[in-house]
Amino acid sequence: MGMFEEVLHDVREFVKAFPDEGKREFQSRDIPDRWPSGGNGNLVLAADTGVELGSPREESVSFALWSESDHAVRDGAITLIGPDLGEPGGRDLPYGKVVMVAGGGFDGKNDYDRYRELERARYDVDLEGYMIRAASLYQREWIRISRKALQKGLTFRTLGGALIGRLKKIEYVRKAEVLFITSSKEDVRRLKAIAGKAAMLVGAMSKIFEEPQMDCDECEYRPVCDEVTALKKMRESLGKERRKR
Amino acid sequence: MKNDGKTRRIAVCGKGGVGKTSLTALMLKHLSGRKDLKILAVDADPAVGLASVLDVNVKKTVNDLRNEIIEKSRDREKIARQELAEAVDYKLFDALTEGNNFAFLAIGRPESEGCYCRVNDLLKEIIESLSADFDVVLIDGEAGIEQVNRRVMKEVDDLVLVSDPSAKGVRVAEALWNLVREQNAVACSRAGLVLNRVRDGEEAKGVMERTSLELFGWVPEDERLRRQDVEGKSFLDLPDDVPANAAVAGIMRKLGF
Repeated sequence: MGMFEEVLHDVREFVKAFPDEGKREFQSRDIPDRWPSGGNGNLVLAADTGVELGSPREESVSFALWSESDHAVRDGAITLIGPDLGEPGGRDLPYGKVVMVAGGGFDGKNDYDRYRELERARYDVDLEGYMIRAASLYQREWIRISRKALQKGLTFRTLGGALIGRLKKIEYVRKAEVLFITSSKEDVRRLKAIAGKAAMLVGAMSKIFEEPQMDCDECEYRPVCDEVTALKKMRESLGKERRKR
Repeated sequence: MKNDGKTRRIAVCGKGGVGKTSLTALMLKHLSGRKDLKILAVDADPAVGLASVLDVNVKKTVNDLRNEIIEKSRDREKIARQELAEAVDYKLFDALTEGNNFAFLAIGRPESEGCYCRVNDLLKEIIESLSADFDVVLIDGEAGIEQVNRRVMKEVDDLVLVSDPSAKGVRVAEALWNLVREQNAVACSRAGLVLNRVRDGEEAKGVMERTSLELFGWVPEDERLRRQDVEGKSFLDLPDDVPANAAVAGIMRKLGF
């Protein structure tokens, strides 16, 4: 089984459980205008903020997944569950975001670097009036959209389009899709439970890469490592490499 | 000064008790009137005096963050640098207290014993990176200029040396300037003296005859500042007609604002 296949399946089931009228879908290919760049100064202070997503006082979750199967990801799809930016819902919204990509060439040695690269891509989304603070360690993302940007019409469609555009620049990414949740704290909490599974996989991957001397018998990630083929492959592949040195 | 995308970093230093914090607060009051600027005020004094005179509620200091990160690092022995750096940036931003067009960051007490070089270096790096998002960074330093270098940033544009008219205060300001010039205590492009609590122009002139430091300006003794301080009211709420405000406006003009 691929690294994130089960988690991807859970995300699909999570989305499916929402009634159709609660979901909106956009296609990044259809986004007409380019939003101006924020230059180097994408700072949005509280007084200038129109809407705040996933602030430290709100529920927030953000994670990235990949699949080696092209069928698992709908290229360019942006799904939104909950109010869009600028729609009634309040200044502070809970926030969930899932990035899903399909790509090839994962060989057990490059997986961890690729994961980091996927996570880093969010910082390259440079839109005027959009500020991001994120912590992969806590799977949290905190977004501020300025009042001016809201007045000018910044929406999740633009935001998702910009993110997908950036992800598609990564050499091994063939398809990219993004899911946004702003509907309720409860929905974000349910997504967090799924994110927890992804965090276990990333934690195991991180440990395999960062701690070459680890003892598998003592390791807290052993159950996931034993279950997920991609992690087993990674452990064996890196083990061989280290023994060669 | 035009907001041209480059951050201007100003550090205020001088002997303890000469009014560095009051001056920094007045400088912030002046700058915060410029709605085209975003300002980061950094309180590098362990006693967080600037927070008091601005009546700002400090949620967390950088030192609190340092301790949290060290704790977190203990939970997971090895955390990738990227993960740690973004977690620090996230928490640092959350630690800011925000005003209309300024944000306030308190550094807090110096670290306790033990070597946390990785965390300390990372914190300084993230403070520098956060600073780059603002138009002006205003640092209320401790008496020792080397603390600014060690705990906030290694380079500033303007170093404001504050002294009262006392010979001792001016000597400390000169000593600080010598530390900067001869031992590179902090890299800076320009330094000058601000005389605080001065009786009149004659007194300021007399002091300046005894020193070779460039004079950025002098601030008159002002009973209303003292009263504001005693009553625990924010210096940001001082009426504009307070003479110290006009003096600080002149100093800021000299600094190019």
